[in-house]
Amino acid sequence: MTHEVIKHLLDDYVTGELTEDARGPVADHIAACAICAAEVESLGRLLVRAKNLPKSIDPPVDAWSNIRGAIERDEDAVAVHDSRSRSAFWRQPYFLAAAAILVAVLSSSGTALYMSSRGVDANSPSSIAGNASAGATPATLVAFTIEENNYLRNVAVLQDLLDQQEASLAPETVVQLKASLRTIDEAILEARTALARDPANKTLIEMLSGTYRQKMDLLRRTAEMTRGS
Amino acid sequence: MSEDKAAALDSIQRAQAGDVNAFELLYREHAGRIYALCLRLQAGDSADATELMQDVFIKAWRRLATFRGDCAFSSWLHRLAVNTMLENTRTDRRRVARVLPMDDTSLLAGAARSSGVELKMDMEDAIASLPKGARLAFVLHDVEGYQHQEIAEQLSVSIGTVKAQLHRARRLLRERLER
Repeated sequence: MTHEVIKHLLDDYVTGELTEDARGPVADHIAACAICAAEVESLGRLLVRAKNLPKSIDPPVDAWSNIRGAIERDEDAVAVHDSRSRSAFWRQPYFLAAAAILVAVLSSSGTALYMSSRGVDANSPSSIAGNASAGATPATLVAFTIEENNYLRNVAVLQDLLDQQEASLAPETVVQLKASLRTIDEAILEARTALARDPANKTLIEMLSGTYRQKMDLLRRTAEMTRGS
Repeated sequence: MSEDKAAALDSIQRAQAGDVNAFELLYREHAGRIYALCLRLQAGDSADATELMQDVFIKAWRRLATFRGDCAFSSWLHRLAVNTMLENTRTDRRRVARVLPMDDTSLLAGAARSSGVELKMDMEDAIASLPKGARLAFVLHDVEGYQHQEIAEQLSVSIGTVKAQLHRARRLLRERLER
């Protein structure tokens, strides 16, 4: 092997990643070539310095309290800890419009209005939100909690799927839609808190149930669209 | 199973069941290594590194149910940190401005020094000044000990690209450290 060939093998030689059959000729060349010997020595020094860098550095002391605060806000929102992600991957105006409907349904004023007019079924959130809820709404909080866990698991799977396809989306679109989803999640948190105060309220259960179905439906459609793009 | 491993497993299982205090134990055990990784991935910027580390642990909490013990918990967290950094880079346009072309890397010199974090400055400064692709390859391979194949999978590039970035990183580092 020539010097020109061998100098491209020096990195792998130093890190021990060169195949056995190539290692011998390279070692022979290094023994006779001052330039390559110096290169090997320099690379070796660099790798030792890299290995000696501190493996652990203390983070700022307030980092944990920030993390804990975020976790507890999550807990308040969904009662389970493992399924929420804020990634949003909508790209079509359709999804923005649908998200806007959800926001309107679950917004602060919407919830307040709802709370003050309980029992007005004609304005139930599931019908306002666009009838995505073809399935039966759970009749009790216990049944709803079971169903909610199922929704959250499915949402997590869909969002993981979308995570993998994120590169196909324009960054500004992702940012905009991330903000939309955050607003929706905040609205869900508010409605979920209202349900915690009034667990027997069937209309609230219906509202949340329909919203989760909507969210899952939107995620599924977006995943299908990004996969096809 | 050693007592340490049993305790770690117990913390993971309790955290998976929703115990925040158990998750805090996991945080205390792993935060230093994850923060060091984040700091290097973020070119020595302590504010960005702190934000990234917090994102990683919040995401870890949300996804704890998906941890099945197929690999070490620390490896799972490391992977999550790299993936989170890549996601943030793709979705946050502010960060794009920090990915400087190779000729402009001198603009980043001193980034670690200005972060206020005490590091081994010469080496850390030099790593922080690398172009992003080269920095990722170097940190993951030569500092963290990942294999070429693992890095290629995480970054969604070929092994050849990883090796080329590594070679570039080492050449630039030696130039800057030895001049």
